Amino acid sequence: MTMNHRRSLANRCNALKSTGPRSVTGKRSSSQNSRKHGLNTAPDFESSSEYRVLFDLIAEEGFSTFACADIATGLLNYRRVMDAYYDTYTSPEPVDEFLRDANMKASNPVFRELLSPSGSEPQDVREMASFFASMQRQERRKGGPVSRRSSDTHKLIRYQRNGISRLSRAVRQG
Amino acid sequence: MLYNVHFGIYVDVAMSVEDKSKSLLPFLSSPKLLPDESEAEFQSDLQSLLSELDNPSPLAVVLISQLNECLWWIKRHTVDKELLLHEAMARLLSREGTNWMGSGNSKLSVALEHYLEGSAHKDEADLIEEALINANLTLSDLRARAFKDVARHIKMVDDLIHRQHQTIRHLQRSIDSIDYKSRLIKRMDLELAALESKQSMKGVLSLDDEPS
Repeated sequence: MTMNHRRSLANRCNALKSTGPRSVTGKRSSSQNSRKHGLNTAPDFESSSEYRVLFDLIAEEGFSTFACADIATGLLNYRRVMDAYYDTYTSPEPVDEFLRDANMKASNPVFRELLSPSGSEPQDVREMASFFASMQRQERRKGGPVSRRSSDTHKLIRYQRNGISRLSRAVRQG
Repeated sequence: MLYNVHFGIYVDVAMSVEDKSKSLLPFLSSPKLLPDESEAEFQSDLQSLLSELDNPSPLAVVLISQLNECLWWIKRHTVDKELLLHEAMARLLSREGTNWMGSGNSKLSVALEHYLEGSAHKDEADLIEEALINANLTLSDLRARAFKDVARHIKMVDDLIHRQHQTIRHLQRSIDSIDYKSRLIKRMDLELAALESKQSMKGVLSLDDEPS
């Protein structure tokens, strides 16, 4: 067996051990990654009509062709980030008011009643109650609509930072 | 090349500020505002920013409109900081009260919002005062506790505001560089015109000298 082959096998084994989220909440959260804002996908600005309009407009100001392309792409990329920022801000994850406000202690008899037809043990009731309690804790930790939209928008800071740096660099070097 | 550049800028300068911002509408589209915000106010802010620049180029207009949007985001996030506190105060009141299980939380938070604005009806004010008495808290105690609870989110909003300030700085630098470039070209044009007039004067003088 060659060294490269061994290394590749070892890498694959290690990758199996360590990649991806492990907890249920981690998996649930990461399963929604690509659906949230779409800023991780590679955009094709060059074929859009806005790109041509911008390119011509910037070219009139005496920038070189390369600078025009850089500035137009930078501007469209920045707009894309800010549009995602707006969408994230205006549509935060909805609050589950029932789960947030429910009294878990009072719900124990309800769980017992629900589980008793199957002859379940008190252990099952406890597990169910603790599962709901953990869901409630998560729901409360997220806070109300304003807290949610703040934390969701906060995740886009790095995209905004990269977008504006790229645009500003293109304009200043052009 | 210089002439081309000059010509390009000359054409743009001939347009009014309003025309320039309108000519960019396909790119800018209409501003994305929240339901309770006024577009007229947004546009008037934009126009006042544009009027501060002497003959802004189309690219400068685009950058200034982005800058205006950043200013609006700062306003929105500043309002959010207060809203976060109100949200936490309402949550604390409903938690401390006896009405723990029911659906009184949203009613309480609306009442608290009105109470803090000073526009609460008598029954809303009574509800809040009763909840405060039940929780054995004053309004300032409640606010302090809410601040402690929601500090993490307030920090996030501060980060968002800080980010907008940084973005504004970047945009200002970009606008400055465009402005400097156009002024440099204007100056070079003036120098060129001065040289040309000097040359022509010299030519006239030399023609005058020739017969002698």
